[in-house]
Amino acid sequence: MKQCLCIAAIAAAACGAWAKVDLTTLPERETVQLTIYNSADLTLVRESRPLTLKEGENSLQFSWENTLIDPTSLEMVPKARAGQIEISELVYPARVRNLGLWKVHSEVSGKVPVEITYLTSGLSWRAFYMGTLTADEKAMRLQGYVVVTNNSGEDYANAQTRLIVGKVHMIDEIAALARRQYPYGSPTEAVVLERLRDRRDQVDTKLYFGRAAGVLEELSKRKEIVKEGLSEYFLYTIEGTETIPTGWSKRLPSFEADEVGVVNLYKFEEERYGGQVVRFLSFKNDAEHKLGETPIPGGVLKVYRDVGAGGHLSYEGQSAFKYIPVDEDVELNLGAAADVMVEPKLMNVAMENYRFDSRGNIAGWDDVQTYRIEARNGRAVPVKIEIKRNFATSYWKLTNAREYGEYEVEDLDTVKYTLALGAQSKQAFEYTVRMYQGSRQEDWRE
Amino acid sequence: MKVRMSVLTAVVAVLIVIGAAEARIKLVALPERAATVIRLDNPAATLIEEERVLTLQKGLNKVDFSWKAVSIDSDSIRLTVLDHPEDVTLLNVSYPPNEAALVWEIASSGDYAETVRISYLLSNIDRLVTYKAIADKAETKVDLKSYLVLRNFSGEDFANARVLLDYGDSFEQGIAHEETKQMLFLKADGVPITKVWKWDSATLPWDAEKLNNENVGIPVSYRIVNDKKSGLGEFSLWGGKARLFQDDGRESTIFLGEDGSAVVPVGEKMELYIGDSRDIVVTQRKMQDSRINVRKNNRGDVILFDTDEVITAKIENFKDSPAVLTMIQHIDGQWDMAKCNMKYERKDAFTLEFEIELPARGADGPAVKELEMHYHRRNVRQ
Repeated sequence: MKQCLCIAAIAAAACGAWAKVDLTTLPERETVQLTIYNSADLTLVRESRPLTLKEGENSLQFSWENTLIDPTSLEMVPKARAGQIEISELVYPARVRNLGLWKVHSEVSGKVPVEITYLTSGLSWRAFYMGTLTADEKAMRLQGYVVVTNNSGEDYANAQTRLIVGKVHMIDEIAALARRQYPYGSPTEAVVLERLRDRRDQVDTKLYFGRAAGVLEELSKRKEIVKEGLSEYFLYTIEGTETIPTGWSKRLPSFEADEVGVVNLYKFEEERYGGQVVRFLSFKNDAEHKLGETPIPGGVLKVYRDVGAGGHLSYEGQSAFKYIPVDEDVELNLGAAADVMVEPKLMNVAMENYRFDSRGNIAGWDDVQTYRIEARNGRAVPVKIEIKRNFATSYWKLTNAREYGEYEVEDLDTVKYTLALGAQSKQAFEYTVRMYQGSRQEDWRE
Repeated sequence: MKVRMSVLTAVVAVLIVIGAAEARIKLVALPERAATVIRLDNPAATLIEEERVLTLQKGLNKVDFSWKAVSIDSDSIRLTVLDHPEDVTLLNVSYPPNEAALVWEIASSGDYAETVRISYLLSNIDRLVTYKAIADKAETKVDLKSYLVLRNFSGEDFANARVLLDYGDSFEQGIAHEETKQMLFLKADGVPITKVWKWDSATLPWDAEKLNNENVGIPVSYRIVNDKKSGLGEFSLWGGKARLFQDDGRESTIFLGEDGSAVVPVGEKMELYIGDSRDIVVTQRKMQDSRINVRKNNRGDVILFDTDEVITAKIENFKDSPAVLTMIQHIDGQWDMAKCNMKYERKDAFTLEFEIELPARGADGPAVKELEMHYHRRNVRQ
């Protein structure tokens, strides 16, 4: 399954004999640039090759056996002598697969550099992160990495590697286009829009295997990654070039930030998390937190904590997080917390203000419920807890809920209390909610 | 041009049969196909027109037209006499049993070498159109190229044919069976584009915080107008797949995304969805939804009411460039707006469209705008 990407200029162009015996030159790739996407199995390849053209009509054969190239994406552009070279058509001949033939009309003879671009599948990248909390959990050292994996069937040597963060819209999968018998399909078949979930799984498996069996090359000097925004995407350009043979993966550091201030945020919402308190690590992607130069691509963060002398670490958990724009708050879900507890207790129920209809049936009433919420922090560090309470109706009033500061109305049936608890401490508060039922809702505004 | 392969899997042959047709083994002339036209102006079917010279004798002539391994709609076959239309008359057409063939009975008033045009609908030969556009770094214009893709899987080789589209000049092109050819047929540089961000309350999640680790991407499109001002507007742009790229300012491009476009008549807009923006975040919440003006029947049952509803939407732009967000809101039934802090256009009875101008992210954080709509739905029946 080695590469078979070759390009050949054909001398006997005018008579159209494109059999392989007519090959005259086989120009090598001079440079290659890979722009790899992570939201889709997609890579834009741009390579330059010097072609030797003769004056008049030239045919140029490009073949891509055993690769995952989308043949409909092929394009060749001359990089010199514009206006003297016309690339009139690209023919996918009958009865041959994985081969294209460019018809080139040249008014000059000699060497002409050309640029060939195409889309391929099989190359991918992902971001992952390591966070190391200080012992007091007030700051974190954040290290970002990117892992580039090549399962494209093609070896890319000395390739300038660029990574795109962003979600592109695709209507076809490149892998499906690459496997078509005819590049544009045939009118007899409906256009194949395969959604290759199974295959994706396979690729992922291979990817993992590739990484495990591959190299994690330690560079003597760390490479810079230049980041810039383009349209809705972010482009990461890795300094210099990379050689990634097919089947291999490569891990590169993308950024490192020391002392990112973090808040231990705990959340409690029965309807969403059950009775558990869920731990979040919260910070902001901004300059104040030693970040904020670029958005942070989504990935998995493994969080460790310094546990005293000797540089020993304790593993705190991991969190998959989404893409974080600059200045956006980050909340990393580290899972259920065992040593922070929130316990809501229904302390009193009452039904009041009954209304009856003309037949004497119940038409409306108030449900009055008093809750006592107790929050306990068993940890040796201070924590912040957000407690959300949902009411089953939008006709409600809270009557005595101000004991621990203002609550915030989240939406028509949700309120949020925010508590700050010191190390190994507890707090409790009470609220009474009056929920208007049936015809009593008509009186809710009073 | 590619030399035709020696093996043809299928042929269309025209046989001229002189005399009685019953036995159908007769003196045969095989007139060469002269001018052939492939008409691709109808996306649903391809019309082939070919001219042949028939040697007609005075009196009745039977001409046998048969085909093998190609799919011709036999009802579509027409014969047009070109040289002596007054003197040569097609009397009838008969179909032999169990054959892909037909026999024309032609009356001729003299001996003629008559040029006729045979036209028919041939299956499995068609054309596609694809677009490739490269946007400039500022995303204000694109260099647009359109390619015509001829696909021939008809079973027939066309050594040389005149290809006609529904506009533009015809051109000579040969295409063999099972061959696909991609040709550049439109190139327009500097076509102005408008970049559109669209958030629709009916299709996108209201509150990203309630999703588990997913960004809500706001669809981003490029809008191209098919008119003279854009350097286009000469003809409808056919539907097809469009791939969009952007100049990265370093003599290279990035791929922005792809979308399918329907036919765009002159004067209309082509909107190409390229990808999702995750740097504009919309958080929409319903803050109030209660009944007012409740009306009851004699038994005290509620039969009719109005509502009092408040929706707020916080729009944050984390981008370092300004943007105009198109926000679509939907309110069902009869309604009136009590108060709204932003201007909107009523697109139809139930759809409101806001154009929200968002400045770029500032030094102190994202640019934030808040929409508040306070409205009543009227005469809601229980």
